[in-house]
Amino acid sequence: MKCKDCEEKLDRFVDRELSPTEVLELQLHLESCPDCTEHYDFQVHLKRLVRHACECDAPPQAFRDKLRQLLT
Amino acid sequence: MAESPPQTAFAEEALTHLDTLYRGALRLTRDPDQAQDLVQEAYLRAIRYQHSYQQGTNMKAWLFAIMRNLFWDRFKGSRKDDVSLDDVGEFILYEKLRDEGARPEADVLDKLAASEVVKAVEQLPPLHREVVLLVDVEGFSYKDAAQALGVPIGTVMSRLHRARQQLQKSLYDYAVESGIVRGSGGQAVPQS
Repeated sequence: MKCKDCEEKLDRFVDRELSPTEVLELQLHLESCPDCTEHYDFQVHLKRLVRHACECDAPPQAFRDKLRQLLT
Repeated sequence: MAESPPQTAFAEEALTHLDTLYRGALRLTRDPDQAQDLVQEAYLRAIRYQHSYQQGTNMKAWLFAIMRNLFWDRFKGSRKDDVSLDDVGEFILYEKLRDEGARPEADVLDKLAASEVVKAVEQLPPLHREVVLLVDVEGFSYKDAAQALGVPIGTVMSRLHRARQQLQKSLYDYAVESGIVRGSGGQAVPQS
């Protein structure tokens, strides 16, 4: 695998959407390519950053209670 | 102890996905009161149409689909404005930072304020924002995101790609504005 192929598949690798064969190919490439490994780590870091920033908002307790009362 | 009536059991299960629905509604409406209204309406509709839910399928994706369809019903007509991500071009934040010598590149990410990341997500057009919410924030697979959005998997992938380009561009602009990175005259990476 070349770096260009790796780059094209990086998003799907980070999202765990590659087939087992593709995962293996990509892992083999990463083991031998520090540049792509660094890029991969960066993309994982970025995805985690977006998740952490957006997942901290929880519904207010009063709203939870109101909804539960309404539905059950 | 008596078993819960079917509707109560269904509602209880549906309520386990409240956090996901609320976060999605909040990011889509950008307003806590509107988010609560939207979520409440979505749950009432889900209860009313619970017969259409197929047991064993992804309830979270089903509920999200109800919620986002209600959102789009309310904002009908705004879909035409939900394009214009075309001018971003290929923007890869990692490469941009590397070219500017900001090493290690990931350190820049640690300096970004969470509020600015949220702002960058909320600035995405809704059709692109909802894909980021599902895949990056809620951890949906492409298949489940496609189900929730009622689009083919290929559309999920293309919207996600464009959304991420825009997101990375916004974060880079913020990093330059706030002095986290020096920037190269505020120029975006040329389109490929």
